[in-house]
Amino acid sequence: MSNFNTILLECDNISKQYGFFFALNKISFQLDESSILGVIGANGAGKTTLIRILSGLTSPTSGKIIIKGKNYKANDKSIKQIIGTITNKSFLYEELTIYENLKFFCKLYSIYDKSTFKDKIEHYAEKFNLSNWIFEPISNLSTGMKQKVEIIRILIQNPSILLLDEPFSRLDFNTIKILIKILTELREKKNLTIVIATHKIEVVQEISDTILILKRGKISKFAPKNEIDKSMIESYF
Amino acid sequence: MNTKKNSTKSELKLFITILQKDIKSEIRQFNDIFSIMLFGIISIFIFSSSYNTINLGVRMPIEIFVIQIWMIIFFTLIFIMIKLFVQEKEKGTLYGLTSSPVSNGILLISKVIFCFILLCFIELVLILFSFFISIPSIQALNFNGFFNYIMIGIVLPTLDLSICGTLVSALSMYSKNKSFVLPLLLFPIILPITSPIISLNIRLLEGEIISMVIIEILFLMAHAILMFSILIFVSEELLSE
Repeated sequence: MSNFNTILLECDNISKQYGFFFALNKISFQLDESSILGVIGANGAGKTTLIRILSGLTSPTSGKIIIKGKNYKANDKSIKQIIGTITNKSFLYEELTIYENLKFFCKLYSIYDKSTFKDKIEHYAEKFNLSNWIFEPISNLSTGMKQKVEIIRILIQNPSILLLDEPFSRLDFNTIKILIKILTELREKKNLTIVIATHKIEVVQEISDTILILKRGKISKFAPKNEIDKSMIESYF
Repeated sequence: MNTKKNSTKSELKLFITILQKDIKSEIRQFNDIFSIMLFGIISIFIFSSSYNTINLGVRMPIEIFVIQIWMIIFFTLIFIMIKLFVQEKEKGTLYGLTSSPVSNGILLISKVIFCFILLCFIELVLILFSFFISIPSIQALNFNGFFNYIMIGIVLPTLDLSICGTLVSALSMYSKNKSFVLPLLLFPIILPITSPIISLNIRLLEGEIISMVIIEILFLMAHAILMFSILIFVSEELLSE
C-alpha cells in the first residue's frame, strides 16, 4: 500500500551528539504518508532522542529532516502545526482541569472553536471513560488517566503526523486496545502518519507497516513488518 | 498588509493565551506567592522594628526604607525566576509550549509580562504594608512625589528586572546546578542598574521632580531596551536544547 504513497517524512543522516556520546548516529530513513512506523530498541538505543528531534524539541547535531518537502529547520512553525507529540513527560498543567488544559492546547494550535469545542471534549472523554473527570484538575487524576488526556490532546489537535514515545507504558489492557483501534482508524480515515517508539513488540507488530530497530544510536534494521519476526526483534535487545 | 495584520492579531492571541494560563496556574497554587509575600512582610517588620522599638524616637531614613524595599524585590525576583522556566522545564510542560507552533519570541514576552505582573502584585502588598509599618517613621517623606515614586521609581525598574529575570531564567534552565547558576548570572546583569534604582527612589521620595532624575530614568530605559533586544535576538537559541 505504502509504495503508492508520497514520501511525507525524510531523515537524512541525522546525528545527535552529547559531548563524545552519539545518541543518534547518521540515521536515514523515509516514511510514506498514511503509514505507521514502529521504532523499537533497548534502553538508550535512541528512540526518545529520535522522537524529540522529529517533534522539534531538540535539534540534531547534523543532518536534515524534510517534512512534506520542506526543510524542518527553516519552516518550524508551519510544520509544528501538523505534528502531534506525546513524550514520556506530560505536557499537561497539574493545576488546570482537563477542560482548561485541552482548551489551552487548542488555542496554542489556533484550532479553538467555541461552538464545537465542548462537544469534541465530551465525545473523547466518553470514549476514554473520562466523562466524570472533565472539570477535575490534572493533579487529581491517576497516571493512566493523565496518559488518556494526553492522547485526547493530540487527537483534538488533528495533526498529520503523530509522534508517540512509549504511549502504552501507563495504560491498562483495555485502553491500549482502544488506542490501537483509534490509531488505525485515524490512519485510514485521515491519512495520518504515525511514529511509535515503544518496548511493546506485540503492539508494534500488530499496527506497524514498517519497523525500525535502533541499537546504540544506529539503525540495525529498517524493513516492512512482514520481513521482521518477533525473535529477530528480540535478538537486538 | 492584511496578512501581516492577521499574523500580529494571532500572535497577540497566543500571547494572551499563555499569559492567562500562567496567571490561572499561579492563582491555583497560591501557597508559593503567599510564602514570598510572607518573606517580604517579615523583612519589612524586622527593618522597621529596629526603628520603632529599639531606637525610640529615631525615625527611619529614606535610604533605609528604599534599601529594604529593593532588597526584598531582588530576592522575590529570584523566587519568581524559578517559576518562569526552571519549573516548567522540570515538570515537562515547557516541551508542550516549545513543540507547539508558538514562536519563542511570543513565549518569552509572555513570561516577561507574567514576571512583571507577579512582581507588581508583591510590590503592591509590600508598599501597602510598609505604608503602615515603615513610612510613619521615615524622615522628610514628600507625599507629593509619591505617585512619581510608584510609577517611575517602582514600575520602570520592575519592568527592567522582569526582562533580566526572564533572560536569566531561560539561560539557566538547562544547567545542572540551577540554584547556583540563577543568582550567579543575575548578579552581573542587574549590577549596573542597582545604583540608579536606589538613587532614583531616594530622590523621588525626597520630592525631586522628574527632570532632575532624567539621567537615571534614561539609563534604566536604555538597560531595559538592551536586555529586551538581547532576549529577542537570542530567543531561538535560548529555548532549544
